[in-house]
Amino acid sequence: MIAFSRAEQISRVVRASLLALAAVAIVIPVVWMAIGSVKTETELFASPLALPAAPAWANYGSLFQQFHFGIATLNSVEISLGVVAISVVLGGMAAYGFSRYPFMGSRIVLSGLLITRMVTPAALVVPLYLLMNSLGLLNNVVSITLGVAVLNLPLVVWILRPFFDALPREIEEAGLLDGLSPFGVFWRVAVPLAAPGLVTVALLSFIAGWTDLLFPISFSTTPDATPLTSQLLQMQTGYKIYWGSLMAGSIYLTLPTLVVSFALQKYLVRGMRLGY
Amino acid sequence: MSFKRQVRGSRSRGPAAGLLTWNRRVQLTGLVLTLPALAFAFAFMVYPVANVVFLSFHQYSPLRSADTTYAGLSNYTWLASSDIVAHSIWVTIVFTAVSVAIEMAAGLALAALLAKLVVESRHAFGRILSRVLLSSFILPFATPAVAGAIAWKMLLHPQFGPVDAILRTDIAWFSQFPLASVIAADAWKTMPFVLFLLFAAILSIEPDQYEAARLDGANGWQEFRYLTLPSIVPVLAVVAAFRAVDAFTKIFDIVFVTTGGGPGNDTQVFPLLIWRTAFDFLNFGQASALAVVAVLVSAALGASLLAIRRISPA
Repeated sequence: MIAFSRAEQISRVVRASLLALAAVAIVIPVVWMAIGSVKTETELFASPLALPAAPAWANYGSLFQQFHFGIATLNSVEISLGVVAISVVLGGMAAYGFSRYPFMGSRIVLSGLLITRMVTPAALVVPLYLLMNSLGLLNNVVSITLGVAVLNLPLVVWILRPFFDALPREIEEAGLLDGLSPFGVFWRVAVPLAAPGLVTVALLSFIAGWTDLLFPISFSTTPDATPLTSQLLQMQTGYKIYWGSLMAGSIYLTLPTLVVSFALQKYLVRGMRLGY
Repeated sequence: MSFKRQVRGSRSRGPAAGLLTWNRRVQLTGLVLTLPALAFAFAFMVYPVANVVFLSFHQYSPLRSADTTYAGLSNYTWLASSDIVAHSIWVTIVFTAVSVAIEMAAGLALAALLAKLVVESRHAFGRILSRVLLSSFILPFATPAVAGAIAWKMLLHPQFGPVDAILRTDIAWFSQFPLASVIAADAWKTMPFVLFLLFAAILSIEPDQYEAARLDGANGWQEFRYLTLPSIVPVLAVVAAFRAVDAFTKIFDIVFVTTGGGPGNDTQVFPLLIWRTAFDFLNFGQASALAVVAVLVSAALGASLLAIRRISPA
């Protein structure tokens, strides 16, 4: 055990206080919005720094009565799950293939795929809009799902391939020698072993689908195919900004990703580390 | 990384023909596993990008007319001579440089402080404190960009925003200081990413080295300056490069929600310019030319990142 001198004690307290201060500053925007979301409009404008007299839940009610949040939630869920499914299945298979069964030109193909990770989404959305139009998929959550998924796929391969690389090869070889087909080995040996990586990827894919704004504002003009992100923006019209509903809706949009991120924090941090 | 070498070695019966069959089977398996993803990427990424190149040489305004007419290089000459485009590129560069600089500085400072706290925490209190801190630092990352943007719009609102209320001013931050406000919101949103990567890098430095530094009588700042910082320079470089490319190519949501590119064109970053040219002004030809430039820039940046990633030990 190291004995700390008095000066060192003080500097430790200073460092901890600095960190605490930074943490407060970092959470304040969202916490303040949560408080604001249960204020009435009068309270909001009359006393910006005061807490509400009593929580006004009407803002949350308005989301469903006025702003189609029921159907928007359903759309967001569909898009997110679709992105997770496409990313995990296609990305998982491809990452494993690139890791274990290189074919002629696979290194070049892999580099090409990884480079597309840097494609400006707004540049892709222009021709993709025309493609979705000719496929008759505009105003349909399918087009939004496909758009988010194709931009997410390179990141998935980027994260998963090193993951498969790092798995002990001997177990898979044993599986092969025991007569399993390569796909049997993939499904029964590699996938279970790579489960933490797959969870990481699923989590990031869910967040990508849940939070995307670009594809919904480009591909959807009807509430029937509008997810939460772009539905939120309906609350700021040229005439009036519905601040109460806007803040309530933002908190509503944030809660699922927040809960999932905290619950799977370990995986999220690993995703950050592997994803760059 | 493949089975090829090992399995080939372990198969003692292998005549030349058998090896070829095995090799072919490996190749075929690789193709079958990767084909669905590649077909998907081809249909919804490669083909559209090829189409955007085609469109960039044409005039096309859907909703007005379904015709594409050949326009030669006119979209590109417009692009090269337009003040709006030049201004947009300039805004994007300023945005990227300032935002990444803030993220890196704040992320590095907090990561170093946090790592020191974690390493020195031998009591339950210190461990709980560092867990709480880590969780709070992750919050902006877990907040959807749209919601984060609305939070900042509320924070900086001239009538009921707490910032103006505390300062006793009524500054409309997003109108009077639009770029600075957008940068603040973006730096807040992305700083955790930098923080966590640098935090992990600092924690992976050998504890013995800190022990040695302490025996030599180094104080906290000297420890940071002469041990921590030099040890993580490669990670710093890679993270900064990645953040810069991401900021430059992907900034959209926060600007779209807070300023919409305004006032005037003050915050019209390049991705937003592409989008508005297509979906507000319905000029898909010009938008395609802008998109081609964006794709070329991102491909070049992406390729150099891959190269950096390969040579860097980070």
